[in-house]
Amino acid sequence: MPKNRLSHLHIAVALLLLSIAGPALALDGNEILRQVDNNMQPGSYEMYRKLINIEPDGTKKEFVLYTVKTGQDKMVALFISPASEEGRATLRLGDNMWLYIPNVGKPLRITSLQSVTGGIFNNSDILRLDYHVEYEAESISEKEESYQLKLKARTSSVAYDHLQMIVDKKSMLPTSIECYAVSGMLIKTLHYSKIEDFGDGLVRPSVLETESPLHKDYRSLMLFAKVQKKEFADEVFTLNYLSKVNDLRK
Amino acid sequence: MTYANKSSPWRRIQSGPCIALFLSCLALFFPHLCAAEEFSFDLEEIEKKDLQMGGYLEIRGEHMDLNQGSVFSTLNLADPDEAIVDLLTAAMQLDGSYARGISSLNWQLKAAAQEDTSGWSDMADVYSAYFSLKADPSLSLALGKKSYKWGKGYAWNPVGFINRSKDPNNPEEALEGYITAETDFIKSYQGPLQTAALTLAVLPVWEDINEDFGVSDNVNLAAKLYLLYLDTDIDLIFLGGDSRSDRFGLDFSTNLAPHFEIHGEAAYIPELEKIILEEDNSSSRVEDPAFSTLLGIRYLSANDITTIVEYYYNGGGYSQEEMSRFYQLAAAGLAQDPVLDTTLLDKAREMSLKGYGRPQPGRQYLYSKWTMKEPFDILYFTPGITALVNLEDQSYSISPEGVYNGLTNWEFRLRFSLINGGKATEYGEKGNSNKVELRIRYFF
Repeated sequence: MPKNRLSHLHIAVALLLLSIAGPALALDGNEILRQVDNNMQPGSYEMYRKLINIEPDGTKKEFVLYTVKTGQDKMVALFISPASEEGRATLRLGDNMWLYIPNVGKPLRITSLQSVTGGIFNNSDILRLDYHVEYEAESISEKEESYQLKLKARTSSVAYDHLQMIVDKKSMLPTSIECYAVSGMLIKTLHYSKIEDFGDGLVRPSVLETESPLHKDYRSLMLFAKVQKKEFADEVFTLNYLSKVNDLRK
Repeated sequence: MTYANKSSPWRRIQSGPCIALFLSCLALFFPHLCAAEEFSFDLEEIEKKDLQMGGYLEIRGEHMDLNQGSVFSTLNLADPDEAIVDLLTAAMQLDGSYARGISSLNWQLKAAAQEDTSGWSDMADVYSAYFSLKADPSLSLALGKKSYKWGKGYAWNPVGFINRSKDPNNPEEALEGYITAETDFIKSYQGPLQTAALTLAVLPVWEDINEDFGVSDNVNLAAKLYLLYLDTDIDLIFLGGDSRSDRFGLDFSTNLAPHFEIHGEAAYIPELEKIILEEDNSSSRVEDPAFSTLLGIRYLSANDITTIVEYYYNGGGYSQEEMSRFYQLAAAGLAQDPVLDTTLLDKAREMSLKGYGRPQPGRQYLYSKWTMKEPFDILYFTPGITALVNLEDQSYSISPEGVYNGLTNWEFRLRFSLINGGKATEYGEKGNSNKVELRIRYFF
């Protein structure tokens, strides 16, 4: 075989390998993301969360939410405390979001970046869908104990354009996530901690802390409790049901 | 569930000065690692109780500079020479429910007492009190007094055929309901039509029951069909019965972009009864078709400013000519010597009560509200400004305000309203020319 023909063959094989390896690499990132989601919560579930906003002087404000989710993109969150927020409910169906305020008596369309509570958390943090539903893995790098995923929002309606997620290799759970705007500005960093057994095989972080360069010296925490698998009728995720979500709690 | 528990790795570490120093350094450099230790999430906090009670206590102080010589200060005030009014109001709203299985009893009560320069007044009312049954998520029944807020508009709802009228300056306040029997069916689908929901409300008007709704001894039916179709909320609304003339409505709301929402309403009333003032100062009852529309947007800018703008065409309102005739009648009444003859002023008072004195009695309005979330890093502080313009006579009210709710369960609102317009215009003839209001609410 002539030498130049051999090198052409080498190039062709290399290209073929690259063309196979490229998607496989992307697939791995997305597969890791799916595993992260599976480890973080069941497909359909209910859970309670406590949001704590801490100001630089140590002043705290706490909110408790009851959340139910079914399928890939149906989610409701109901505020059960403090009294000033009690009965407020937010509904997400895909990219559509609504806010129900008891006194107003009807749901209003809202956007993902609006804040329901004030502070660092916004609607998309409260009504976050599975990561693999909102984001696609663009690249993946590997360290001794972790994967680093660069994730890109699948649509422009997602609150953060891209994420840098660190995933612990052993537990396949996220440890920290940096959230960036389209401009490349870092909006906030999320830190997961305190892995806990929620029962039914669900072992996941029970604390999420958020810090933001836009709110220096302010901290926000989200504590999780009673995360458990539960099936709900699709009719629960409708505007007419928003005033009745509290009936789902046992 | 307490995070500072015995199984916590931090608790397993024995105390000692070196360890304390190590932990302090760790907390200083890695605050998020230690954060969870300071907080707890007890299951008691999320326990659901059969009986749930809540509400708020409110205290509100208002100072108004009166618009001396204006039509409505003359018609409504006992002493037309009064220059200012100071009001102090204490109010309480009680919300509650008692749930047992699939049934529940729900209520909302409101009471208020007011002291002003002319004396004391108070009120207590049942805003809602109804029994409901929820067999499953797709079907519910309710019987009793219930408040309805149909329509997509923020400031106005021309399709809100069984709503109480809301105050565009306080559109988020609770409103009194009507006694109804209601069923609600919900069905979800896969595909472009995601949800269909039908609400039927039977609203009787009998002696002592819903008497202020319309003509007595009638049973009315209100229906709303809600559709979520292609990510757009659509309501088809109907009111039939003899207490009010038949009404047909349509509303919609959708997001054109993630931060840009558009909504609208259209209402058609084939025979709307209206009392009008004739040129000879007599009044007559007319029935005309009325078509009302509302078109609005809600936009969230990159710097967290929320803008709501709504245009409202009130087909059942009075034209500028009809309003001018009313203001002329009142002005003529004012010119009369009140000792000798009050005929014209009495007629103006009568017409004011029959429609000319109601909020937004004209045809075309513009509402806009801008609020900015937490400017200058002041958490929980929301300044805003609301403008309400009568587009036909160019009169307006502008209300800057600041709302602070940084203290758990407290809300503080300071608002100033400037009310302005020329002679014989809606806001130019209001009873007051400005108002300062401080409202403090404590939620429990």
